Amino acid sequence: MNNNFSGYFPTWCPGCGNFGIWGALKNACQNQKIPPVNLAVVYGVGCSGNMNDFFTANNFHSLHGRSVPTAVGIKIANHKLSVVVIAGDGDCYGEGGNHLIHAARGNHDITVIVHDNRVYGLTTGQVAPTALKGFKSKSTPAGIIEVPLNPIALALTQGATYIAQGFAGEVSHLTGLIEAAIRHEGFSLVNIFQPCVTFNPLTTYDWYRQRVYKLDGENHDPGNFQKAMEKALETEEKLPIGIVYQVEKPTYTDNLPQLQKGVLAEADLTADLEKYIEEFV
Amino acid sequence: MTDLTIKIGGAAGFGIMTTGLFLGKIAARSGYEAFEYPEYPSLIRGGHNVVSVRIADGKVFSQEKKTDILICLNEGTYRLHSSELKDGGLAVIDQDKVDPKKLEKPAGNITLLHVPFAKILKDNSLSPVMLNNIALGVLMHLVGADLEILNQLITETFARKNKEIIDKNIQAARFGFEYVQKNFPAGYKTKLSKKASIEKRLFISGNEMIGLGAIAAGCKFYCAYPMTPSSTILHYLAAKSEKSQMVVKHAEDEISVINMALGASWAGVRSMTGTSGGGYALMVEAVSLAGITEMPVVIAMGQRPGPATGMPTWTEQGDLLFILHSGHGEFPKILLAPGDMEETYRLTLEAFNLADIYQTPVFILVDKYLQEGHQSVEEFRIKNLELKINRGKLLSDKDLQNITNYKRYQITDDGISPRALPGMKNVLHQVNSYEHLEDGHTTEEENERTKQVDKRNRKTATFLAKNAKLPVLYGKKEAALTIIAWGSMKGPILQAMQGNEDKFNLLHFTYLWPMPSEPVTKILKDCRKTLLVENNSTGQLGQLLKMVTGIGIDDRLLKYSGRPFYPEEILEKIKETL
Repeated sequence: MNNNFSGYFPTWCPGCGNFGIWGALKNACQNQKIPPVNLAVVYGVGCSGNMNDFFTANNFHSLHGRSVPTAVGIKIANHKLSVVVIAGDGDCYGEGGNHLIHAARGNHDITVIVHDNRVYGLTTGQVAPTALKGFKSKSTPAGIIEVPLNPIALALTQGATYIAQGFAGEVSHLTGLIEAAIRHEGFSLVNIFQPCVTFNPLTTYDWYRQRVYKLDGENHDPGNFQKAMEKALETEEKLPIGIVYQVEKPTYTDNLPQLQKGVLAEADLTADLEKYIEEFV
Repeated sequence: MTDLTIKIGGAAGFGIMTTGLFLGKIAARSGYEAFEYPEYPSLIRGGHNVVSVRIADGKVFSQEKKTDILICLNEGTYRLHSSELKDGGLAVIDQDKVDPKKLEKPAGNITLLHVPFAKILKDNSLSPVMLNNIALGVLMHLVGADLEILNQLITETFARKNKEIIDKNIQAARFGFEYVQKNFPAGYKTKLSKKASIEKRLFISGNEMIGLGAIAAGCKFYCAYPMTPSSTILHYLAAKSEKSQMVVKHAEDEISVINMALGASWAGVRSMTGTSGGGYALMVEAVSLAGITEMPVVIAMGQRPGPATGMPTWTEQGDLLFILHSGHGEFPKILLAPGDMEETYRLTLEAFNLADIYQTPVFILVDKYLQEGHQSVEEFRIKNLELKINRGKLLSDKDLQNITNYKRYQITDDGISPRALPGMKNVLHQVNSYEHLEDGHTTEEENERTKQVDKRNRKTATFLAKNAKLPVLYGKKEAALTIIAWGSMKGPILQAMQGNEDKFNLLHFTYLWPMPSEPVTKILKDCRKTLLVENNSTGQLGQLLKMVTGIGIDDRLLKYSGRPFYPEEILEKIKETL
């Protein structure tokens, strides 16, 4: 059995930011010594979601926008599995935005890794919810009117207990963020800046390199909500990467009495009907 | 022969529904059969609620239009329903709410009984919410039922409240009882005296049967978003979740609901969701996902009149063809439509087995009429119904020790591939919403695509050979007319058949899809004359049968006013037809 997580060689464009994220995820899982059989990965649909064929674990290639609820269901059914979501910006912040909010509120113990390239790659270059205001694309030839969605601030206000931001061009730093996210018990969002070399001529590797800075060197306290919000609002001149926020709170499955004896998927299926029908007599 | 219909109406929020339930249980505990149907608007307070309870010695299949006793707890009940009183019927009127002088007496021999409900409440400082217990007390004397049964029910219902509340409610019932004892001692002509020997019966709704069936089937994950008429499945299962060890999740929307259920199913848990047409419309994309990933899931689909928000609290059979064709792309799905409470329980159990065996979505297609209506069912019929849990080709860790090169979508003769779960030792696999190779990896290669489509479609052939069931014929084979119907229409039609067995029989469909063409064609050809009875405006079963057999049904009786059929309406049509 494949124990190093590698699958087929990716079909992404040469230079795509997905390569860095893919490498960081593999490194993180190996560093954490997670046996692939204990890892369930759910993929949305998009360039990022295509990773299902390039990464070997228990894989569920789900629908566009729906990887988060699929992952929540898996975690409830078998809370011993580490559950990771691979999603794109359109996938997780557009189509599936509602699910992100509610999974954060529930502090479901899943790690959501969002490939944020501010553009739709697989559908050939329309704007994503994180596109910078005025960005011109096939669907917005006059420039996008909406302001970009702020994933970090959104997750922070909705109850996520681990929020990090990474850069696909900083693979070893990103590896650490993903490792910490998987280790974290509770809802984790890792938003990853990722250049799209084919459809986004604006936010390139160079563009990010001029702006990103590491929170580790800044003496940032991830346990402080207000400070985290300050960092979340840095979206233009300077872009923080690192763990923005982290607190310990009981997870959704911690709160389910049905799981205290063991895994739901292994529960006894028989029921004593006698106990249920008396109330109807 | 006892055959008695009682209707109780009043403002929403005053326990009208509970009164209907109590009455049904009183009938069952006195040794009778009963059927209850509630009607109410989509409001919480102030609207007009009415329940109709039919009680008889023998099997009761449905409500009837005509009423023996009408209890009017507001003015509207009398205005709207007094014309439904049978000749010789009795209306109980709250004389403080309705001026007796202004009442228009309905035609025929009708007795009006004035009971000062408001005065009884006031004189005894009882809370207005106890009005329904006064009414029940009134009824108990009118039909000569055992007041002790009502007292016992009140005690059980308020067991968690303090003794004072129980006593007050029992008192309220006694005041009603005594008022009639004094002022109308003869009561109503039909009596519900307690029988000498009593078969133990449940008085239960379709939604409760779905819940009970899910528990018995070992469902451990129920995920839903509230929507009438399916919300009470969620309520029932949530209330029992500690006892049943089922995780019951109210998620953010129906899209999330079904995707969570699919995630849980992939991880090995028997999973179910329940919704109505609009909620199901949101689930459709993921039903297609279940089709291609070959994921077992059970969906309780409760119909109500659409389109869009339609009439949320009323009934219809308008979604058969929508469900049949729902989901983009081609994949097998199984549709079961129970016709009564007992069938609802049995088919729910079966739905979980079929979902596991065929690794595809299975629907329990019901409607508000069946879901929120109540019917008495002999307890032994439920207790003795054993359906062994069958998880199909689900592999164990031990099986996997002997399998090298496991393939989730292995090509097989029956179209069903052995199923591993994430977390099992020694195997990694992927399920994929894209078309895939046998091992789950994405493909766009034409031969592989064709092979996987054929494999999935072969499940339909396997189902037709092994699990499909033909429609059931009720009544005399030689009857001149055959009614063709599905799902909840069974009740009113069987009720209409009582005493009319020579005139018509019923061909009732519960296994709606996949449907075997040849035997169904033969059955239809053998009918002398056919009449389609459906609770929709386009005769959807008729269209389906035409599609499968090429045979058209001779005549149709369709109703789509949001109300179920009354047996009287069916008989009228039969008189016309024959």
